[in-house]
Amino acid sequence: MGNARQLPGQPYERRSRLKEGVLGLALALLPFAVLVALVVIPAIDSLLFSLGQIPKNNVAFSTGMHLISSPHLTLAVYRNLFASKYFAADLALTLSVTLFSVILVVVVSYGLALYVRFTHDRFSRLVRSLYLVPMFIPIVIASYALITFWGDHGFLNAVFSHLGLAFSTPIFHEAGIVLGQVWQGIPFAVLLLGSGLDNIAEEQIEAARDVGARMFTVFRKIVLPLNLVPLLIVTTFTFIGVMGSFTVPYLIGPNAPQMLSVEMSSHFGDYNQPQPAVAMAIVTFVIAAIAGAAYVWGTSRDERKSR
Amino acid sequence: MSPLWFLKVSALRRVFGVVLVAAMGVFLLMPLLTMALWAFAQTWQYPSLAPTVYSLKWWAWVFQNGDVGHAVFYSFTTAPVVTLLSAVICLPAAYAFSRLRFPGKRFFFVSLLATNAFPKFGLYISIATLFYRLNLMSTFVGVVLIQLINTLVFMTWIPAAGFDGVGRELEEAARDAGAGPMRVFFRITLPIALPSIIVAAVLAFLAAFDEAQGTLVVGLPNIVTMPVLMYRLVSNYPEPVSAVFSILLAIPSIILLLFARRYLIAGYLAAGFTR
Repeated sequence: MGNARQLPGQPYERRSRLKEGVLGLALALLPFAVLVALVVIPAIDSLLFSLGQIPKNNVAFSTGMHLISSPHLTLAVYRNLFASKYFAADLALTLSVTLFSVILVVVVSYGLALYVRFTHDRFSRLVRSLYLVPMFIPIVIASYALITFWGDHGFLNAVFSHLGLAFSTPIFHEAGIVLGQVWQGIPFAVLLLGSGLDNIAEEQIEAARDVGARMFTVFRKIVLPLNLVPLLIVTTFTFIGVMGSFTVPYLIGPNAPQMLSVEMSSHFGDYNQPQPAVAMAIVTFVIAAIAGAAYVWGTSRDERKSR
Repeated sequence: MSPLWFLKVSALRRVFGVVLVAAMGVFLLMPLLTMALWAFAQTWQYPSLAPTVYSLKWWAWVFQNGDVGHAVFYSFTTAPVVTLLSAVICLPAAYAFSRLRFPGKRFFFVSLLATNAFPKFGLYISIATLFYRLNLMSTFVGVVLIQLINTLVFMTWIPAAGFDGVGRELEEAARDAGAGPMRVFFRITLPIALPSIIVAAVLAFLAAFDEAQGTLVVGLPNIVTMPVLMYRLVSNYPEPVSAVFSILLAIPSIILLLFARRYLIAGYLAAGFTR
């Protein structure tokens, strides 16, 4: 990215670099300011509230039930939370749904991306159009559509009964949430994984096959290394997306245990217990932040390598 | 030979293709088709595979319902405003991330990821308390601001990759030929980066259009958008009402899909996220 037209150290060069730095910062600060105002500050508010600091001017927080208030920071809210077996069940469900969803999204999408990359006929053209569909269906609609198809006495149930087969619906069970997440997650994952595959020359793979490399070896030694960053990004974004998702578990999840996002919403609304709700949000955020750190680590490592 | 060697055998490839297309069709499209059938059903008794009596009466009901009209109005005013505002805020930043050198560049770029990492519900409640103080609850501006959050990543990351793709030689050649910086930007840089900006705008629009949680928290009771109304319809009304409404809600998205499909497949989205 170096600009070699001017010799370094000249006053003109230095002044124009200063100007560039100031302008760049000013422009970058615009979305960052929105981020600070609408994400960082509310997040800090939430964190302090969950640590026992109750703001006077915040009716939603200060009129809650079972408030723990303390002159200094306290972990009491978290201690209560982690002592609760309901929270443990919710957390376990959230983690297992997230894990299964990520694995399924990655495996299915990788398969589709490979298929679309290495075959060129009318079927693969059709697949190319099909996999994009969920990206454009609002998730409220998708959840509702999944219920009409997979639900008890839904379309699939009817088909099974005509065939004389037993059917047990995933809707309102953990499997239903995973189903919804996979349905929703496929387009983004295939697009990203596919973009990594586009950089792989077919000759490269054929050459490896010619010297006798087996299919799995080709995948492990050639395809995967060139596609590691997109894979990491898909994993991270799917992980964070599923962790924080609300609509799918709210509409197709079980009543109890529930995913933390839904539990948060009931604690706020139905139970009027904002403090544990906010603490759950912080727990989810910390787990998501670990995934985010993996993304930052992976992409910055790649950047250094490419320079 | 490709890693999917069996796809090189013509007969096997056809079988695989048919099976895959059928499986994807069932998994991705059948739920939508089932729902579409519901929209025209008067009665649909299990285990019949199609509605037993067809009717358009729920369409009439939906079109005559005042709440629906309001929701359509607010959805189609908030989402475009959010998209425009997001473009004004993020596109200059995207250009800076691509072309200018400044301290903390990588930090500011990656930090936008935080909009995705915090579970939205906790955030929306905190924002709501802020909005109470600023008198933004249940206002158009408040809803626009809430929906703006989900657009920042798309609107910055994807166009930044788009600006990366504009060759500097091209710009310099135009500069050497006597074009001013503005002219170079509008005649060379912008047209080449445009597909990325289109993809970003489409995704930002969809993100705003689909947003239900924050709009629910901040918008009620005055501002109800279509997805927010959908929550109520799913739980309180007979099956066909939600189905009819879903079809209406899906129309703008499908139009955008047909429009943006080739840019998405061409990798403009992926470029933004892998940059």
